[in-house]
Amino acid sequence: MHDFLTGPLFWIALFVCLVGSLTRFVLYFKGLSWQLDRVAYTTYPQAGAKGAFRSIYKWLIPFGTRGWQTQPFITLGFFGFHLGVILVPLFLTGHALFMESKVGFHFFTLSVGLGDFLSWTAVVAGTFLLIRRLVLPEVRILTTWNDIFILLISIAPFVTGLLARYQVGDYGFWLNMHILSGEVVLLAIPFTKLSHVFLFFASRAQLGMDYGIKRGGMKGTKMAW
Amino acid sequence: MPQGIYCNRQTINTPDEVNKLLSDTSGNNYYQEMKDLDVDRDLLWKTIEKTCKSRMRTWLEICAHCGMCADSCFLYEVNGRVPEQVPAYKIQSTLGEIIKKKGNVDNAFMRRAMKVAWAECTCCNRCGMYCPHGIDTGIMFGYLRGLLYQQGFVPWELKIGAGMHRAYRAQMDVTDEDFVETFEWMVEEYEDDFPGLTVPVDVEGADIMYTVNAREVKHYPEDLAEAAILFHLAGENWTVPSKGWEQTSLAMFAGDWAACKMQVESVYDAMERLKPRRMVGTECGHAHRATVIEGPYWAGRKNGLSPAPAIHYVEWLAEALNTGKLKVDPEKRIKEPVTLQDSCNYIRNHGLKKATRDIMSHIVAPGYFIEMAPNKEHNYCCGGGGGFNGIGKFRKERNIALIKKRDQIIDTGAKLVIAPCHNCWDAIRDLEEEYEIGIRWSFLKPLLIEMLIIPDHFKPEE
Amino acid sequence: MFKKILLATSATPASDHAARVAFNLAGTYNAELNIFHVLGVPSRGFSQVVVDVKTREKVDVDDEYLFGVTEEIKAYYGKYLDNGPKVAIDVTVGLPAREILRQAKAYEPDLILLGGSTGDADQSVYKRSAAGSTLHKVAKAASCPVMAVTRPAASFWGGMSNILFGTDFSKTSDKAFEYALALAENMGCELHVFHALDIAGVQSGKLLDQDEIEQKIRESLRRIRARYEVRLKGLKSYSMDVWEGIPFIEIVKYARDKHADLIVMAHHSRRLASEDTRLGSNVEQVIVRAGCPVLSVNK
Repeated sequence: MHDFLTGPLFWIALFVCLVGSLTRFVLYFKGLSWQLDRVAYTTYPQAGAKGAFRSIYKWLIPFGTRGWQTQPFITLGFFGFHLGVILVPLFLTGHALFMESKVGFHFFTLSVGLGDFLSWTAVVAGTFLLIRRLVLPEVRILTTWNDIFILLISIAPFVTGLLARYQVGDYGFWLNMHILSGEVVLLAIPFTKLSHVFLFFASRAQLGMDYGIKRGGMKGTKMAW
Repeated sequence: MPQGIYCNRQTINTPDEVNKLLSDTSGNNYYQEMKDLDVDRDLLWKTIEKTCKSRMRTWLEICAHCGMCADSCFLYEVNGRVPEQVPAYKIQSTLGEIIKKKGNVDNAFMRRAMKVAWAECTCCNRCGMYCPHGIDTGIMFGYLRGLLYQQGFVPWELKIGAGMHRAYRAQMDVTDEDFVETFEWMVEEYEDDFPGLTVPVDVEGADIMYTVNAREVKHYPEDLAEAAILFHLAGENWTVPSKGWEQTSLAMFAGDWAACKMQVESVYDAMERLKPRRMVGTECGHAHRATVIEGPYWAGRKNGLSPAPAIHYVEWLAEALNTGKLKVDPEKRIKEPVTLQDSCNYIRNHGLKKATRDIMSHIVAPGYFIEMAPNKEHNYCCGGGGGFNGIGKFRKERNIALIKKRDQIIDTGAKLVIAPCHNCWDAIRDLEEEYEIGIRWSFLKPLLIEMLIIPDHFKPEE
Repeated sequence: MFKKILLATSATPASDHAARVAFNLAGTYNAELNIFHVLGVPSRGFSQVVVDVKTREKVDVDDEYLFGVTEEIKAYYGKYLDNGPKVAIDVTVGLPAREILRQAKAYEPDLILLGGSTGDADQSVYKRSAAGSTLHKVAKAASCPVMAVTRPAASFWGGMSNILFGTDFSKTSDKAFEYALALAENMGCELHVFHALDIAGVQSGKLLDQDEIEQKIRESLRRIRARYEVRLKGLKSYSMDVWEGIPFIEIVKYARDKHADLIVMAHHSRRLASEDTRLGSNVEQVIVRAGCPVLSVNK
C-alpha cells in the first residue's frame, strides 16, 4: 500500500496535476479574444504585462489591496491557510527528504517549529473558513457541497499529517492517509475549483491587462486592481 | 405566443417604429406581452457558444464562493444586506444557470434575469476590484444584458433607447439639423455676453472635435453654449461635426451591441471626415465609456483606439486650467463645503481621478473640498448608472439605490455636489427630490463660467 | 403694431392677468395668438417621465396626455376663445424659459406675454428644476419685447393714457425708447421719460451729499433732453423727470405718481457686473412690484 502510494500513484498524481494544469493554463490564454473581451492584448504588450504583474503581486500581499484591507478576518484566514498550503508541501523537511529520494534534489527546509506552526495555522484557518462558509449568510447562499468537499480535502492532508507527526494512533496508517489525501488534492487540482492554484494567476493577469491597457493603466493612474 | 406586437425579438430601427413603441404608455402592453414571450433556446445557446469563452467561463467556474464581493456592492448594502444581492449569487443564478442548463431556460427565468440584470446591477465594476480572483461581475452582467436583449427581455425604455440610436444615431429624437440649429441658436443668444462667440461646424483639421449628449440639445441647450464659451475663452481651434455629433449609448445599457457599433461608427466617421487632432466629449460618463473605451472594439479596431485620440471633458478642462489657457479668479472660487462625485465610467474604469481633482484644486478655495468616503476608484455608483435612472419598472429599486450616495453626501456635510456626468447629475437631482437633503448639484461648465478671469479682448464693449 | 402674440402661460391664476391682456390685444389688433404651455419638466433620466407642474406628480407623457392638457387649457380659457380670435394652443415638455424661447424662435411673435411667478421657491415645480427665473432668462434672450403682467391693476389695453419709459442711458435703453415712442404714437398717450439716479448702489457705504445729488439730477435731466427731447416733440404730451434713490423703487413710485398704465424699460441682453443675481435686474424688480404691466425690450 505504502509503496503504491509513494510509487505509481505519486507519479500519476504529479503527472496529471502538472500536465493538466499546464494544459488548462495554456488553453485559458488561447481562449482569450481581444474582440470578445474588448481588450487590445497584443497591441500593448508592455502595458499589459505591467498591469498583469501589478494585479497579481498586489493581491499576494496581505492587506495589499483595498479588498484585503476592508475584510481583515477573511484576509487573515486566507493568508493563514494559503501560507501553510503553499509552504508546507514544498519546504517541510519530511517532504524534502521524500523529494530527494524521488528526483534527487530538494528545496530549502523549514525548521520543525515553523513547520508545525504553519501546519497548525493552516488547520485553524481552514476550519475558520469552513465555519465562515456556514455561518455568514452572504457566503452560505453561495456555498455548495462542492465547496465544502474542496475545503475538506484541502485540510485533510494537514490533519492527517499532524496526526502522523505527533504519532497519534497508528503512524503507518495516518502516513498513508496523509499521502493519499495529498495525492487526491494533486489529482483534483486540474479538474476542480482547486484549479485556482494556477488560474488565479491567469485570471488576475487578464484583469490586470484589461485595466492596464484599456481601463486606466495607460492614463498613468496608480490604481490597484 | 412567440412574439408580441410590442414585445418581441425584432430590433427597432426607424422613427415610426420608435413612436409606435413609445405610444404604449409606460410599456404596459409591452410587459404584458413579455409574460408570454418564448425563449429561443437554440439561438441562446449558439450565441453563448460563439461568444462566451475563456475569460467569462473561467470567471464563472473559478469563483471561490468566498462572498468577498458582497461588501463591495452598494446594492447589497442598501438592500439590507440580503444574501440574494451578493454579486456572485446574482450572476451565478442568472448567467451561471443559463450556461449550466445549456440555454434550456424558460420565460419566467428570463424575466427574473431581466430584473437582476437591470435592477440589481448597474455594471459599475466595483466588485471586480474587490475580488481576489479579479472576477468582474459587472462585465458579466453587461454580457448577460446582451443575451437578454437578443431574446427580447429588455426593459421598455431601453428597447426604445436602443431604437433611438438606430433611428437617429442619438439617444433622443434629435436630428442632425436640430443639433446644428440649436447650437447656432445658443451661440446667438450668448453672443452679446461673449463677442466673437461662434460654433464652427465641420471644420477640417481642427484641434478639437466636440461631441455631446442629445439631451443637451433637447432640454439643456445652455450646456452647448457653455461649452462654446469655454472653448472660445481658452482660445481653442475647435469644431463640431454636423453628423456623428452624439457620443452617448443607451444601446450599451440595453445590450444591443449591433446598435452600439452603429452609434460609435457614426462618431468615428466624423473623426475620419474632419481629421481633428483629438476629440473632446461632453460631461458624460457612459458616453466616454461607449465611444472612447469600449467603442473601438465594437467597431473592430484591433488597437483599441478610435480614429482620432479622444478624451473626456474633465481631461480637457484640467489641461486648460493647468496650462493657464483658462484662468480662475481666486476671489470667485467656491467657498462653501463642496464634494465631488466620481463617475464609475471614467474614474474607476479609465483612471481619470487626477483630472477631476486638478480641476477641484483650481475652482475650490482651500479647505472647502471634502472628499466622499470612499472616493476615487473606490467610490460608489450614483445609484442611477447602467440605465437605472430611466427604467420605470424598476423605479422603486432605483430610489433605494440612491440611498448609498445620499448617505455619502450627507456624511461629507457638503452643500454642493459637483457631478461631471449626465447620469450622476440626474441621479443626484432625483436623490434630492426624493430625500430632500438640502443640496445643490452642478456640472463643471456653469461653475467655471462664473469664475473665470475673462481677458479684455473677450469682453463686450461697454 | 401686433400681428403675432405669444402668451406663455402656466394655465393657472398666476397667468390670468397676462392672459386677459393677451386676448385683449389679439382682439384689438386682430392678431394671431399662440397660447404656449410647458406642462412639466423632464425627469428620471431618459425615461418619458415628466413632473407635471400642476399636480407635481410624475407622469408618463404620451400623445393622449398632451391632448388632455390641451383640452384643459381650452376649457380654462373658454370664455375668451368663444369670441373667435385666431388662436393656436401648443403644449410641450421642458424647462420653461428654454421652451418659451424655442417657441418664440420658431413662431417669431411681435410680443411675448408672461404671467406672474408660479409660486414661492419651495413649492414650484418650475423653480426646483431650473436655476434663475423664467422671466429673467426670457427677457434677456428674447428677440422681441417681453411684457410681464403680474398684478390685476390695469390689465386692460386700450384704455391707456400714460406710458412710463425708464432709461439708464444705455444703447439698449435707446431701443426701448424707440419702442415706447412708437406705442405712445400708436395709442395717442402721454409718454413720461424717467431716469432713476442710483445713489445707493454706486457708492456702497458712502452716501453722496445733497449738493452732489442735486448736481447729478441736473446732469441727468440735461442728458435726457439731449437724447430724447427732439424725438418727443411729435407727441401730444410728454414729461421728463429724474428722481434719486434705489432705481426700481423710484420707478415704481414714479409710475404710481403718474398713474402709468404701462412701463417700458430695457432689459440688457448681457450680464452686467452690477447685477445682483439674487434680486435680478432692476427690470425684474419693477415687474414684480409695479401696479401695471411692464414691457422689457432688449434689442
